[in-house]
Parts: sequence; C-alpha cells; structure tokens
Amino acid sequence: MSDLRLNRRQLLAAGAGLALTAYGASGCTVERPLDTSAAGDIVEPKIDGDLLIFNWAQYMDPAIKKEFGEKYGVEVNEVNFDNLEAMMVKLRSGGEYDLIFPSSEYVGRLRKEQLIRPFDRSQVKNAATVSPYFDGPWYDPNSEFSLPYTYYTTGIAWRTDKVDTMTESWNDMSNPEAFGKIFMLDDFQEGIGQANLLNGFYLNTAKPEELEVSKETLLEQKKGLRGFSTLTAQNLVSGSAWIQQAWNGDVVNARNQVSDPSIFRYQTCKEGVPVGTDAMSIPVTAKSPGTALLFIDWVLSPKNAYRNVMWNGYPQPVAGGREAFAKLVKDDPSIDVNLNELKGSSNEFRLDTPEARREWNRIWTEVKA
Amino acid sequence: MNAHRFWNWFLAPGTLWILVLFAAPLLLIFALSFGHVDDFGRGVYGFKLGNYDDVFNSTYLPVLLRSVGYALATMLICLAIGYPVAYYIARFGGRWRYVLLAALVIPFFVNYLVRTYAWVALLADEGLVNNAIVDLGLSDAPVQMINTPWAVIGGLVYGYIIFMILPLYGSIERMDQSVVEAGKDLYGSPLQTFIHVTIPATQAGILAGCVLVFLPSVGDFVSAQLLGGPDTYMVGNLIQDQFFAASNWPFGAALTMIMMLFLSVWMVLYLRRAAKGEAEVL
Repeated sequence: MSDLRLNRRQLLAAGAGLALTAYGASGCTVERPLDTSAAGDIVEPKIDGDLLIFNWAQYMDPAIKKEFGEKYGVEVNEVNFDNLEAMMVKLRSGGEYDLIFPSSEYVGRLRKEQLIRPFDRSQVKNAATVSPYFDGPWYDPNSEFSLPYTYYTTGIAWRTDKVDTMTESWNDMSNPEAFGKIFMLDDFQEGIGQANLLNGFYLNTAKPEELEVSKETLLEQKKGLRGFSTLTAQNLVSGSAWIQQAWNGDVVNARNQVSDPSIFRYQTCKEGVPVGTDAMSIPVTAKSPGTALLFIDWVLSPKNAYRNVMWNGYPQPVAGGREAFAKLVKDDPSIDVNLNELKGSSNEFRLDTPEARREWNRIWTEVKA
Repeated sequence: MNAHRFWNWFLAPGTLWILVLFAAPLLLIFALSFGHVDDFGRGVYGFKLGNYDDVFNSTYLPVLLRSVGYALATMLICLAIGYPVAYYIARFGGRWRYVLLAALVIPFFVNYLVRTYAWVALLADEGLVNNAIVDLGLSDAPVQMINTPWAVIGGLVYGYIIFMILPLYGSIERMDQSVVEAGKDLYGSPLQTFIHVTIPATQAGILAGCVLVFLPSVGDFVSAQLLGGPDTYMVGNLIQDQFFAASNWPFGAALTMIMMLFLSVWMVLYLRRAAKGEAEVL
C-alpha cells in the first residue's frame, strides 16, 4: 500500500482497456433483445399452467389470488417491483411473468416494444362493465393489450382545520394560508402537468416556450413548498402537510388512519384533472398466458373488485369496484370522480417522444436542484 | 511450489468475486455513460460525450456542492459526538465496554431506511416530540424539524455515526497510555496534552472515521428523500431519479462516474496519508 501511483504505461493500458470496453459495447442496448415472436399471437383464456404475477407490493387482496388458485387448481405466486423502470428491466431481460400491472404510459411503451400480447376483450366476460372511458384509450387504441386495474385522479388534499380558503384551482398549490406547509408530488409529470394546466397549456405540452413558462411557475410555487413527496397519507396524518397535491386513493388511505376523517378533504381543479391508470397486461414471456387472462377476468368480477377496493383503497372502474369506492368516500364525495363526466376536462399523461421526456426531466431536475 | 505461491491461491476466490461482481459492472456503467436513450427509453451503449457536458451544466453544480457541504457537516458532527463516546468507552468502559459497544452497534442492524422512517414519525409536526413540546408548553405551535437541511444532516449523522465511533475506539484503545503520562510530566495541561498528544496519537482513527462517514454521506439519497425539504436535493437523489424516474440511464451513469472520480481522489489521498503514517510508526 506504500506506492499507489501508477506509472505511465499502466495508466495508458488502463485507459485503452476502458476505451475498448466502450467500443465493444457500442450500439448494444443494456439488455439483450428478447424473442418477441409471440407478440402477435392472441391469448386464449384457458388454464395453461401456474400463475406468476408481477405487481406493486400490497396492491391486491391476497384472498383473490388464493380463491382463484383453489377454483382452478393452479398455484398463484406473486413477486413485486418497486418502480416501473425496474419492472421494464426485468421484463426485457427475459423474466417469465404471466401478468403485470403497468401504468397507462408504460402499456404504450410495452406495446411499441412488442413486450406484451394481445387478447380479445369480448372473451373477458367481466370486462363488459368496465367504464367506457377505457374503450380504445390512447395507449391501447384497439383495446387489445390491456384492461384497467385501478385508476386515480390528481387533485389537492388539504387539512380543513388549518386551511379554509381553497378555490378548486391549481393556484391553491401556492395558497398563502399554508405557505411552507405545502407538498408537491415528487413526480415529474404531476409537477410540470399542474403548472401547464395552471398556465392554460395542454397538459403534455412539448413546446419549449410553454415549458419555460411552467418552469417559472414551478420555481415560484417552490418558495412556498415544504417538500416534494409522494408519501401523501404520511404527510397528511403526521401534520406536516396542510396542503398536498395528491392522488385520490391516497386521500382514502389517510382518512382511514385517523379518528376524525373529516379533517382531510380533496378537490379536483377546474383547470384540468389528470387521470392515471394502472392496467393489467400479459407479457410475451408469459409461460401461462391463458391462465393470466382468466385471472384478469376473475379480478374484474364484481365480487372481487368490491373486496379489492375495500382492501387497498384504490378505485376500480368496474361494477363492484365503483360501489365499493363510493362507500369508502361517502363523507367526501369529491374524492370519488365520475370518469364519464370527466371526458372533456380529463387529461392523461403521455410523452410521445424521447426528446419530450428528456426535456420534461431536465426542467423537473432544474426545478428540484 | 513455495509457500508464497501457495498462499497466493487464497486470493483467487476474492479476486474472481471482485472482477465479476464489481469491476465488470463498473466497466459497463462506464461504457453506458457514453451512451444514449433509444425511442423505447432503453439505454444504448455508444460514444457520446454529451452526458458529461450535462453533468457540468451549471444547474447541477449547486447539487454537488450541497452534497459535499452536507457530508462535511455530517463528518464534523460525527467526530464531535463520536470522539468523546469512543474515548469514554475505550478508557473508562471497564468490563462494560463490550456491552456499551454492542448497545451502539445493535441499532445499526435495523435497516437504515426503516430507522429514517422512524425519525419522520418522531419529529413530524404532530409527531411524538412535537406533541410533547406543545403539551409541556415549551412552544405554542409545533416546531418544524423535518423537511429542513438540518433534518437531512441529522439523518446522515444517525445513519453513519457508527463508522466514526468504531475506528476511533480502535485507535484510542490501542493508544499507549504512557505518552499521555509523558505529556503531563512535561507540565502539559489536560487540554494541551489532549491537543498535542492524544489527538496526534489517534489520528489514524480520526482519518479513517472521517473517510468512512464522508464517502457514503456524499452519495446518500435516503435522508434527503425522507427528511428533506424543497431545497435539500443531493447528488444521490439526482442519480436515483435518472435511473428510476427519468429513464435516462446514460446520464445517471455519467453522474455516477464523476462522483466516483471525485470520491476516489479523496480516497487515494487518504490511503497515501495512511500509508505514510504507518511508515512513520514503523
């Protein structure tokens, strides 16, 4: 350890080795390309093996899996991811999952990348009661690669015992009554999206001059923020947040954690309501795609949708799920958003080009830095 | 086969491990740092210097400086707290010293993330500490403790202080007591003896502790994410966001390389210093 200096020859050799590695890998993607030959085959609903589910943790009532397994005589196993990028990486590197739960935007990306398989919605009996809102969505124009699992709207939650000047506008993200006690979701699309809506721009605008204006809006809002955080329930319940940009399902969770839920209320904003969806899709690498499709049908059945919503607090846009959510939020109906009434004012996040995504991320990073 | 050769073979498993599971992934990160993102959002290896230009964009400089500042503060606070603790245990712990050390180490078996969450529950506006403050009449309104730079630094101190205490304990325990007595014999006051004798005699532990606390603190993201406010974004958060939110792995890789380079400089300086110290002792 006495001499740590490299001599010139060693340095050159090390440099050449590094350059060679970079050259050798040049042009390759991080993962090797998958065999996507199954990407065109339509999945038939039939039991063809045990089921492996790849989902967020704590996102489905375990009884639903257990009873499916008992009914059809298969094993139902679940593994979890904690962010969607990690899910993508595992899929691309050949993970043999039968059923995944991507967000709408990721359904679009998976479809373009030929990583998920089509199926016929008419063969999924319980899909008949899915809200028409999800007929031919932008990420799945022919409704053949996905069915919705849960959906959520983005609005603003607040403490009624601290703040009484809410205006149903994204302007409330800088409400002076809660200066320094406001949290913005730590999500680049939600953050920039509300600024776009506030400025009257299209939610997903990629125009540089508009994004520049929204960046200024965000920097101005940042002065009154206490932080960027997606831990909505925790921030509200611990008293740290007086105002929190929030997904409606999280407000339900916050209300479930306190003795007097009326101290938390939720509003959607008149400038526009972002709507998000987590969908169910079947990867090309699935070993038991038929079982997976039967399971999708099972999840969407009124009985299972009802108890799943009661269990995890997120609305499901299907018979049973709707009733359960309405029951959960009967004290504050504003949390329950009727998707069909939203048609005009709703907006879904989508960034269609890598350049737009990069630009949005650059702005978001500059705001947070 | 001579004995020297024989013992060399014992290095083989470790060397293989390091090559396959450390050096190879690091090379891939290096290669990826010159890559770009394709239309599917996948990282593609290539020859692009642009990612490094982005690192040195003026926007990210404050993030780097802030991270170094927090890490330095963490290091100094750990030293100020850790030295008396280590000194007391090493000199006056007696038969309790291993119990005391175990009491310090055991909390660190609990995951750092979980411990940080516990801080949120303790220090939130309506958390246990604030409720006590208000109930005791010390303040009318809750004191905002989390979502501040101090909370981030506090979280880092809590997270890494054990890495300061253990090396300090080692060097204080090994210190030859007769040099302290010699200092006193030469009419040094307790303070003078401490500054001119004890500190130099334990500087190996001080240096090791400082490096062990500083390095992970610079790259930490947990503390800032859970305890931070709007202005506490650290380079660890920046890198994590590039990988898991922004789908920009090449930029994340470039940031990682620059951070490693920066930290390596300090590491090499430390190792040379330590090597020199060893040589002097011998």
